[in-house]
Amino acid sequence: MTHDRTRCDSLVIGGGFYGCSVALRRRSSGDSSVTLMDAGDDLMTRSSYANQARVHAGYHYPRSLLTGLRSRVNSTRFIEEYKESVVGTFDKYYAVARSGSNVSAAQFERFCERIGARLDDADPEIAALFDPDRIEAVYRVEEVAFDALALRERVRADLAAAGVAVKRRAEAIRVRRTPEGRLAVESSIGVFEADRVYNCTYSRCNRLLVDSGLPPIPLKHELTEMALVEAPEEIAGVGVTVMCGPFFSLMPFPARPGLHTLSHVRYTPHHAWEDDGGSYRDPYAVLEGAARRTRFEHMRKDAARYVPAVEDVRYLESLWEVKTVLPRSEVDDSRPILLKRDHGFPNLTCIMGSKIDNVYDVLECLEEAPA
Amino acid sequence: MSDRVDTFVSVIAPMRDDADILAGFVEETVSMLETSFTNYELVLVDDGSEDDTLGVARRLLREHDCIRLLPLSRRFGQEIAISAGLDSVIGDYTVVMLVEGDPAELVPEMVARAMDGAGVVYGVRRARAGDPWWLRTGARLFYGAANRLLGLGIRADSTHFRVLSRQALNALIKVRDRRRYLRTLSSFVGYPTEEIVYEPRPRRNPPRRKGPVQALALAINIIVANTTRPLRLVSWLGLLMAGFNLAYIGYIVIVYLLKDDVVEGWATQSLQLAVGFFFVALVLAVLSEYVGRLLTEVQDRPLYYTQAEEVSSVLIADERRPNVVAESTESR
Repeated sequence: MTHDRTRCDSLVIGGGFYGCSVALRRRSSGDSSVTLMDAGDDLMTRSSYANQARVHAGYHYPRSLLTGLRSRVNSTRFIEEYKESVVGTFDKYYAVARSGSNVSAAQFERFCERIGARLDDADPEIAALFDPDRIEAVYRVEEVAFDALALRERVRADLAAAGVAVKRRAEAIRVRRTPEGRLAVESSIGVFEADRVYNCTYSRCNRLLVDSGLPPIPLKHELTEMALVEAPEEIAGVGVTVMCGPFFSLMPFPARPGLHTLSHVRYTPHHAWEDDGGSYRDPYAVLEGAARRTRFEHMRKDAARYVPAVEDVRYLESLWEVKTVLPRSEVDDSRPILLKRDHGFPNLTCIMGSKIDNVYDVLECLEEAPA
Repeated sequence: MSDRVDTFVSVIAPMRDDADILAGFVEETVSMLETSFTNYELVLVDDGSEDDTLGVARRLLREHDCIRLLPLSRRFGQEIAISAGLDSVIGDYTVVMLVEGDPAELVPEMVARAMDGAGVVYGVRRARAGDPWWLRTGARLFYGAANRLLGLGIRADSTHFRVLSRQALNALIKVRDRRRYLRTLSSFVGYPTEEIVYEPRPRRNPPRRKGPVQALALAINIIVANTTRPLRLVSWLGLLMAGFNLAYIGYIVIVYLLKDDVVEGWATQSLQLAVGFFFVALVLAVLSEYVGRLLTEVQDRPLYYTQAEEVSSVLIADERRPNVVAESTESR
């Protein structure tokens, strides 16, 4: 090893919102030196940026009470803590489709009542935007969006204030155990030695594990596309989600003022695959290699059947990203976060969660069993 | 690539035990769509197949882009399967194709005619040469009766193969009859129609054919679903019989008054009974048919149930479609 070894108490790999939060938490719970490394040019440029910007207030999971309840608890905390990156100026509407939906309007109302989420009937002029033949009910909900750029600024300031050493353009290559029982991470900028390593690389979680000769975690990946669009006037100030099946969401995207993301349960995932040990594929390589033929037209055509005004959205570009979920949550709505301690090596922790505002669950669990 | 028509075409193909010919159908159809239109989708609706149709379809989802698989939860019948597809397609123009034998190469022309203003462009079989004599005769009788006596306006030998504009489709899916017949429904909604004469090209050898019972049941169903004229006919018959019986009562009274000996007349009486019961039976048959229909319409059950929908999962690694796709997926 010609590189100098950088030593620290905790090393966090992956500078998405989860990685940043874990680094901050390690620092505040007593680690004197915490390093955060990210392969990108900046923090929070991948999935923490390219998503629906939804702060989940529970409405989204009508078939999983636990996820719904936890979302309510967490979103309240998130909104409180990151006030300045939360945007509440849009009216959000959830509509229940008549045909093909996994919940009926009555079930959705009961669910929201049980998790204590507020539901109001939409004003007549909003309800008139929906095709009554296809939509059973439209509700106004209390759900806010976050501005990924503002959140990044805030997190960056927090990291600096907390004295977390942030290494950008630093790609972790493999991790191994040193004879003294610590963990050594080889990276593109040298070797780091730490007592604890947190693998917060989301879709790439298994890349580090596989290259380190460790068993991969079963994960399901999707190559996803969200269209960035300019919405026509009548729907410019609103966010619309149609429940609960192969439908769409038109969500304001505060990081690009004036634009919405149009995503569709059926068309947003272009390609799905699972890590099953034998044939590992680096999700970033899949994303880079894909031809990226947009399915905006498919999304628009289908969405316009429910909300005719969507016919007139103007397409700007697409956000392409890899979305990763645990295979078990395919069956229902639940979106548990993976927190796998001592994976392969003692003190190597893998964290994989897909909802920004659910980070508190994982932070609490980290506390429970000190390393 | 540049001569592709800039529109969105959806193709619905109901499937029923079509594992043997599905791959050929899908390949032919997708390559036609790919070269002819800028945007397309192929919706495969499985009508409770008992062979490996679903397995073959799932494999095709991993080989071709823009395919959707919509499996119904059990067998509901071809017309309902098509309805399920009609409810879910998103295109500007919707094509209904039967896996059995509708030729893909006609679709671009049919779509072009629909784009020129025809709400519905439907296929008409050129000849029924392959059909057995009883089916040909029966079909001729049926179309004759349906159009002249019943006023149904079904074009003789028209098939399911058709293109619907979004406008015609939207009108069509509002009709939620339990028993649905695409061929009569598309004329019911009444947009300008055009026909295209073609020769179905069976993908299966020998092609699957309807049996006599099926054909007759279909004919009765189409009539009952679309017209109340038989019922009206029966009403007239009933009136006629009532008048006849009234006259006969008068005759009996007169005979009773004027004649002393009325023991004979067995023949007249039994004839009257026989004729009367014949019509009573006929009336009951037609009434029961319509009463049964009323019952099913009143029940208002969902037309169909679907299982989880599946979509193409294809990794397109280059501008062009071929080569890259085959081994890209390992899930299930």
